Amino acid sequence: MTLWFIRGLRRGVVTTRYPARPDASGPSLPAPPAFRPQALTSHTADLLAAICPSGALRRDRGVLVYDVGRCTACGRCAAKAPHAVTRSCEFELATTDRSALIKEIPVREEAR
Amino acid sequence: MTAEELRETIARQFGRSLHIRTLDTGSCAVCEQEIRLLAAPHYDLNRLGFFFTPAPRHADLLLVTGPMIRAFAVAARKTYDAMPGPKIVVATGACALGGVYPDDAFTHGTVDAVLPVDVWIPGCPPSPLALLHGLGVAVGRLADKVRDLPFTEDRDPERTRGGS
Amino acid sequence: MTPLDFLYAAAACWLAALAVGLLTAQTAAGLRACCALSAAGGVAAAAGGGWALLYGDTRVVSAGGATVVGATLQLQATGLAGVFTALLGVVAVAIALYAPRYHSPSGGTGLYLAAYNLALLACLGVLAAGGMVTFLIAWETMSLACYLLILRHPREVSAARGAFWFVALSEAGFLLVVAAFVVLSSKTGFTTLAGIAAHASAVPGGWRAAAYLLALVGFGFKAGLVPLHVWLPEAHPVAPADGSAFLSGVVVKLGVYGIALFAFRLAPPAGTWPGLVTMFAGAVTAAIGILYAMAERDIKRFLAYSTIENIGIIVTAFGAAMIFHASGQQALWAFLLIAGIYHVANHGCCKTLLFLEGGVTEHATGTRDMDRLGGLIHRLPRSAVIGFVGTLGIAALPPLNGFVSEWLIFQGLFQGFRTGSHLTAILIVLAAGILGLTGGLAVYAFVRGFGIPYLGMPRTRPAAVASERGQPILGPALLAVACVALAVGAPVVLYALAKAARTVTGVTLGPLLLPGDLTVIPAHADFSAFSPTYLAVFLASALAVPVLIYLAGRPRAGSVRVPVWDGGIVSFRPRMQYSAMTFSAPTRVTFDALYRPSVSVTRPSDDDPAGRSGPVHYEAQVTPVFQRYLYRPLVRGLECLADLVRPIQSGDVNLYLLYVFAVILLAYLLGAV
Repeated sequence: MTLWFIRGLRRGVVTTRYPARPDASGPSLPAPPAFRPQALTSHTADLLAAICPSGALRRDRGVLVYDVGRCTACGRCAAKAPHAVTRSCEFELATTDRSALIKEIPVREEAR
Repeated sequence: MTAEELRETIARQFGRSLHIRTLDTGSCAVCEQEIRLLAAPHYDLNRLGFFFTPAPRHADLLLVTGPMIRAFAVAARKTYDAMPGPKIVVATGACALGGVYPDDAFTHGTVDAVLPVDVWIPGCPPSPLALLHGLGVAVGRLADKVRDLPFTEDRDPERTRGGS
Repeated sequence: MTPLDFLYAAAACWLAALAVGLLTAQTAAGLRACCALSAAGGVAAAAGGGWALLYGDTRVVSAGGATVVGATLQLQATGLAGVFTALLGVVAVAIALYAPRYHSPSGGTGLYLAAYNLALLACLGVLAAGGMVTFLIAWETMSLACYLLILRHPREVSAARGAFWFVALSEAGFLLVVAAFVVLSSKTGFTTLAGIAAHASAVPGGWRAAAYLLALVGFGFKAGLVPLHVWLPEAHPVAPADGSAFLSGVVVKLGVYGIALFAFRLAPPAGTWPGLVTMFAGAVTAAIGILYAMAERDIKRFLAYSTIENIGIIVTAFGAAMIFHASGQQALWAFLLIAGIYHVANHGCCKTLLFLEGGVTEHATGTRDMDRLGGLIHRLPRSAVIGFVGTLGIAALPPLNGFVSEWLIFQGLFQGFRTGSHLTAILIVLAAGILGLTGGLAVYAFVRGFGIPYLGMPRTRPAAVASERGQPILGPALLAVACVALAVGAPVVLYALAKAARTVTGVTLGPLLLPGDLTVIPAHADFSAFSPTYLAVFLASALAVPVLIYLAGRPRAGSVRVPVWDGGIVSFRPRMQYSAMTFSAPTRVTFDALYRPSVSVTRPSDDDPAGRSGPVHYEAQVTPVFQRYLYRPLVRGLECLADLVRPIQSGDVNLYLLYVFAVILLAYLLGAV
C-alpha cells in the first residue's frame, strides 16, 4: 500500500488536461478514415460503398457520399483500397448539425 | 430566442455545472463503457463541472446511445419528458447516428426518430476524449469544427491537411 | 341536579331504546327512533359523567329497596367513574348517529340493538355502582349483553367461535373479580364501595395484595392484558362495526376501570412489587399487542391488537403510579393516574372512530382484507379524512390527543429517578423503553394501516368502485372533532381530570400540573413543560408557510405537466405496490421468535423448483402462541381432571343413594360437633 502510494506520487498527475491543452493520445485513437480523391476511381468507390457494413459510404452521381456519423472505423474500406483510404486522426467530431457530418468526396472519373 | 441568445443561455446555465443522465436504447454497451471511463481519474469529467445523475428529474443533459429499439421508445420518451427544461439531448455512437442498424420492425435505427437531438457525437465507440469534446460543444465551451474538416487528403505529403 | 339524576335519565332513555328497538326495528323509522333514544341517553350520560368529574358525589344512594336477590341497588357517581361515563356517553352518541345507516332494518337488527342498549345500561350500572352486589350484577349483565352483541350473525362459525372466546374468558375473569370482592368485603365488613375504600387500611397487607392481584387478573381478562387477551382478536372481527367499536371503546375500558378501582381506591397495596408487576404486565402487553398488530391483514383484527397495545400503555401508567405512591411521591401518583385516564378517554374516541370507519370500508368494498383495498382516499374522501384524524390520534402523533396523553405518561415514567431505590428507577426506565419501542412500532403499524387501504392504487375491482353514497359520516365526524378538542383543549380536560383524581387520591395537583398560560407540566416544575394548545396552533400555521411561499413565488412562465417519473416502465400495475404483509416484513423478520411463522411452499413438481410449469403456492401463518401453549394445555388439563372425576357420576342409583346417606351422616356428625 505504501509502495503504491509512493510510486503514485512519483508518477504525478495522470489526469488529462484536455480540453485546456491538447491530449497526445488523441490522434492515435481509431477514427473515421479520410479519402484521397486522386486515387478514388469510380470503380473503387463502388467497391467501397458495397463493402461498408454500417452504410456510411454511398454512391451518388460523381461523388462518394461519406456519412462520418455512421462510420464505425471497422477498417474494411482501408483494407480493400489502401491507396485511396487513409487515417484521418480526427477525434473532435461532435456537431450540432447532423448534415455537417455528411461529406461528399469527389470521385475521379476515369475514361472507359 | 435567437440562436445566439440560446447559445449564451446554455453557456451561462450549464457551462460550469451540468448533470448528465445516460440512456441506453439498445446498444452493445461499449459506448457505456467509454462513458463510464469518463468518471475515471484519467479523464475525470467532474473537474469540468459535469456530473452523472440517475434521476431524469435532476438532469440537464440526456446522453443517448444505441439505435433506439422500438421496445424502448416509450421509456425513452418518458425519460425525456421527465427532464425539466432547459434540456439538451446528445446522441452518441454510430448506432445512434443511424449507422449499423437500419430502420426496420425492431429498431428505429436512429435516436432522432423519437427524441429531438441537439448534439451528435460520432464514433464506435466514441473515445472519452471525443465525448468530452461533444459535451463541451453541448454547453458551448468548445467549437464545433467537423463542418470544416474535408476528410480528404491530397497525395502530395507536403500539402497534407489530415491531423490536428 | 345531581350527577345521578343525569344517569337516571340516561338509563331511562336506554331502557326505552331497548324496548323500541326490540319491537319496531324491523322498520326504518323504528330503527331511527331507537337510535335517537340511544343518542339522547348518550348525551345524558356524557353530561352526567362530566358533572360527576367536576363535582364528584360522595353520597351512596340506595335505590329500589330490597330486590329479588336480597340486596339493594347502591349507586354512587364518583369522579373516577365520571370520566368513563362521559366516554360512554360520547361513544353512545357517535354509534347512535352511525347505526341507522350501517344496519338495515330487520328482526335481527332489533335484537342486536336491544342487546346493545342493554349493554349500555349495564355499563352505566358498573360505573355508577356504589355497592359490591350492584357492581357484580351489572358486570355480568354487561358480559352477557356483549355476548349477544358479538353474535349478530349466529350462523357463521367464526362468529360463534369469537363469541365463545369472549364469554369463556369473561366468566373466568368474573370468577376472580367475585373472589377479590369477597376477600375485601369479608375483611372490612362492608359491601358498599365507599365503605370498603374508607376501611382499606384495616385489611392486612397480604390480603390486600391478594385481593389486588385477583382483581388485576380478573379485570385483566376484560381489559385485554397479555396473556388474557385472546378473545379480543377473535371477537372484534365478527361483531358488527359499531359492536366492535363499543367493545374496544367502552367495554375494554371497564376492565381498566376495575383495575383502577382496586389499585387506587379499594385495595391500594403496600410495597412496590404489586406496582412493578402491574407496570411490567402493561409494558409487555403493549409490546406484544403492537407486534401482533403488524402481522394482521384483517383491518378489525389489526385494530383489536392495537387496542391491546393501548390498554398496555394505560396499565403501565397505573403500575408506575402505584410504585410512586409506595415510594412517597404523591404528586407523581396522582399525575400518572390522570395521565392514564386521559389516555383512556383519548383511545376511546380514536379507536371507536377507527372501528366505525373500518365498518364503512367493509360496507363500501365488501372486504376487511387490507391487501384487497387501495386508493380509497379517492373513492371515500370524507371517510378517509376522518380516518386520518383517528390514525394520527392513535399513532400518538402531534398535535392530536394520543400524543398529549402519551407525552404525559412518558414524562411520568422518566421521573422514575425520584423514587429512592436505584433498582426501581432502572425498572421504571426499562418499562419506559418498552413503551418507546411500542410507540415507534405503533407509528409504523398505522402508516401501514392507513396507507395500504387508502393510498396508492386499488388492488381489486371492489376497491376501485367503492362509493361513499349512503355511508355514515356524522358519527365518525363527531368523534374526530372530539379527538381534536381533547388535544387542543387539553388544559381544560386535565383540570377536570385533576379534580377527579383528587377525590380518589386526595392529592391536589393544581399548579403542579397546570401552572397557567395553557401549559402542562408533569407534577414537578423543574422537569419539563409543554403546551398542547400552542403546539396545535403552531403546527397548523407551520403547514400554511409552504403554501404561502408557493403562492408568492410561483413561476410566471407556463409550466408543463408530465406524469410522475416511474422509471420509464410502460404501465403501472397495482400489484407493483407494497402489500400489507411486505410492508411489515422487516418487523416480522426481526421478531421471528415471537411470531414463529409456519411456512408451507408447494410447487407443481419437484424437478421444477422455479415454478416454470405452474404456480408456486406460498403460505405463512403466524402461530397463535397463547392459544397453543397456554389455553389448550389448560383446557386439556381440565378435561383430564373431569375424566378423573367422571366415575362419580356412574348412573347407578344404588351409588347415588350411598352418596345421599354419606352426606346426611356427615351433616349429622358435623352438627353434633
